[in-house]
Amino acid sequence: MSTATHIPQKGSHTGRILIIATHAFTQLVRMKVFYFLAIFAIITIASNFFNLPQHEGPESVGTNVLSQIKGWSFGTMHIFSVVLSIVATALLLPKDVEDRTLYTILAKPVPRFDYLAGKLLGVMLLIFISLALMDGLMTLVLQIRTSMVAKEQMEMATTLGWPQREIDALRAETFSNGPSWSMQGAVIAVFLRASIMASLALLISTFSTSTLFTTIVSFMVYFIGHFQADARDVYLHGGQAGEGMIAKVTSLLFALVLPDFQIFNVIDAVIQGETMPIIALGKLTLVALYYAMFFTIASWFIFSDKEF
Amino acid sequence: MVETLAAVEIRDLVKDFKTSFRRKPLRAVDGVSIRIMPGEVYGLIGPNGSGKSTTMKALLGLVAPTSGQCSIFGKDSLKVDSRNDVGFLPENPYFYKHLSGVETLRFYGKLCGLGGRKLADRVGELLALVDLEGARDRRIGGYSKGMLQRIGLAQALIQEPRLVILDEPTAGVDPLGSRQIRDLILKLRERGITVFLCSHLLEQVQEVCDHVGIIFQGRMIREGRLDDLIAIEDQMEIVLRNASPELISKIAALVKDAPDAELVRTGKPRTTLERLFLREIRDEER
Repeated sequence: MSTATHIPQKGSHTGRILIIATHAFTQLVRMKVFYFLAIFAIITIASNFFNLPQHEGPESVGTNVLSQIKGWSFGTMHIFSVVLSIVATALLLPKDVEDRTLYTILAKPVPRFDYLAGKLLGVMLLIFISLALMDGLMTLVLQIRTSMVAKEQMEMATTLGWPQREIDALRAETFSNGPSWSMQGAVIAVFLRASIMASLALLISTFSTSTLFTTIVSFMVYFIGHFQADARDVYLHGGQAGEGMIAKVTSLLFALVLPDFQIFNVIDAVIQGETMPIIALGKLTLVALYYAMFFTIASWFIFSDKEF
Repeated sequence: MVETLAAVEIRDLVKDFKTSFRRKPLRAVDGVSIRIMPGEVYGLIGPNGSGKSTTMKALLGLVAPTSGQCSIFGKDSLKVDSRNDVGFLPENPYFYKHLSGVETLRFYGKLCGLGGRKLADRVGELLALVDLEGARDRRIGGYSKGMLQRIGLAQALIQEPRLVILDEPTAGVDPLGSRQIRDLILKLRERGITVFLCSHLLEQVQEVCDHVGIIFQGRMIREGRLDDLIAIEDQMEIVLRNASPELISKIAALVKDAPDAELVRTGKPRTTLERLFLREIRDEER
C-alpha cells in the first residue's frame, strides 16, 4: 500500500469558474430546458400563417408578415430569456445547499466568488446558446419569407405598372424588414437584458431562503425596472421633491441599484424595421456590464459571509 | 526538538447561532479544543445536536467561529488554501444526479486543479478503491445509499488529501455497506491519511479510531487514546481456544490461591450481531 502523496494544486480562478460554468450549463441542459426551443420553432413557423386584420394597401401585406414573424420571435425570445435567467439562477444555489453538494464544493479549494461566478456564467452560457439557436432559426425563416414576399411584391407592382423608382423603394422597404445586422444587435440586447436579470436573481438568491422568494422578487424588480425611469421623472419634476440636490442624489442612487429596462425598447424599433445604431448597442452593453458586475460583486459580499 | 505540525488544531472553539429576535443566541459549540496528529484516526462521538457537525463545518470554513481558531496543517481554516489538503464527506450527501460516477469524480478533480491523464488515472484508481467500477457510467440518481457514501468518499479523496473529514459516514447504510466504508477507513489509515470522523454509532467508532473525543451539549467532556479510555485498569482478559473443563478448573484454582486476584467471569466470548450477519450473508453468496 502506498503512502499518501500530495498533489500540487494548479487550478486557476478562470479554470475553476469555467468548470463550474460548464457544469451548471450541463445541469440545466439535462433538466431539458432545450425543449423550449421546439416551442419556439413552432411559434416562429406558425407566425407565418397568422392573418391579422389589414388596414393598409396590398403592398404592405408582405412587410407586415415579416414584422409579425420578428414580433412573435422576439416576444418568445424575451419571455424565454427572462424566465430562464430568473428561474434557473434562483434554482441552482438553493438546490446545492439543500442537497449538500455545496459543502463538498466549498470544502475543495474553491473560493466562493469562483463558485458564484461559475454558476452565473453557466446560466448566461445557456441563454446565449439558446438565443443563438433561436436567432438562427428566426433568420432562416425570415430569409426565406423575405425572398418570397419580395418576389410576390415585384410581381404585383409590375402587374399594376408601378414606375421603377417606386418598385425599388418597395423592394428596399421589404428587405429592411428582413434579416439585418440590427436584428442581430437586437438579439444581443435580449441577451444583455437576460444577463442583468440573471445576476440580479443571483444576488437575491444569496440571501433568500427559497427559490420561490427569489423568483417572485426578481420578477417584481423586473417589472419595476420598466417604470423606474418614469417614476424618477415624476419624483424629480412633478412632485414635492423638486430639483434639489438630495432629490437628484436619491434619484441617482435609485438608478444605480435598479436597472432601467426602458432602454431596451430599441428592440421594438428593430422589429418595426428600424436600424439600431452601433452606439446604442455599445451603450446597452456598458449598462448591462455595469449591472451584472454590480450585482455579482454584491452577491459575493453576502455569500462570502454566509454560513451553511 | 522540532514539533510535528498537527493535521487538525482546534483551539477553544465557540460557535453561537442567532435565534429569533430577543432570544439568547444558541451556543452549539462551547470551548472545544482538539489536536489530531498526522496519521491518526480520530472519532468525535456524541448524541444528535451535540455540536459534532458544527465543529467539522468550522474546521472546513463553512461556518465562522464566534471565537477560537481552527487550522489544518497549520493553515487557518477560513483561508481557501487550507482546503488543498482536505477531503470532506458530509452527512447524507446527494451529489449531482445528472452526472455519472466518473463524471462526478472528474468534476471534483478538475475543481482541485487536476486534469488530463493524471485525473483519468486517479478516477480509475478511486473507483476501484471504493468498488464502484461496475457503476462508473451509471447516473448518480440511480445509486443506492451505500454507493452514494462510497462515491462521496472517492470525491473526498480525489486530490490525495492528507486529511479526510467524514460526517456520519455510515449513517443510513446497511451493514454490508457500512462494513465496506469502515474497511475503506482502515485502508486510509494504512496509507497514513489522517481521518477525522464523527458518528453516534459507537461500536463502529471503536473499531476504526485510535483517538476519540466525547462531545455533549457543545462541550468536550472526555478525550484521549481509545485504548486508554476503554481499558478497565484492574482487570485482565485471557481468551482460550479448545480449553477443557479440567484446564479451566486448574486456572480457577491458581487464581484462588493468588492473593488479591479474583476470577470475575468465565464463559464463551460472543461475536457481535454485525459479524454474524456479515458471515451469514457471505456464506449465502458462496
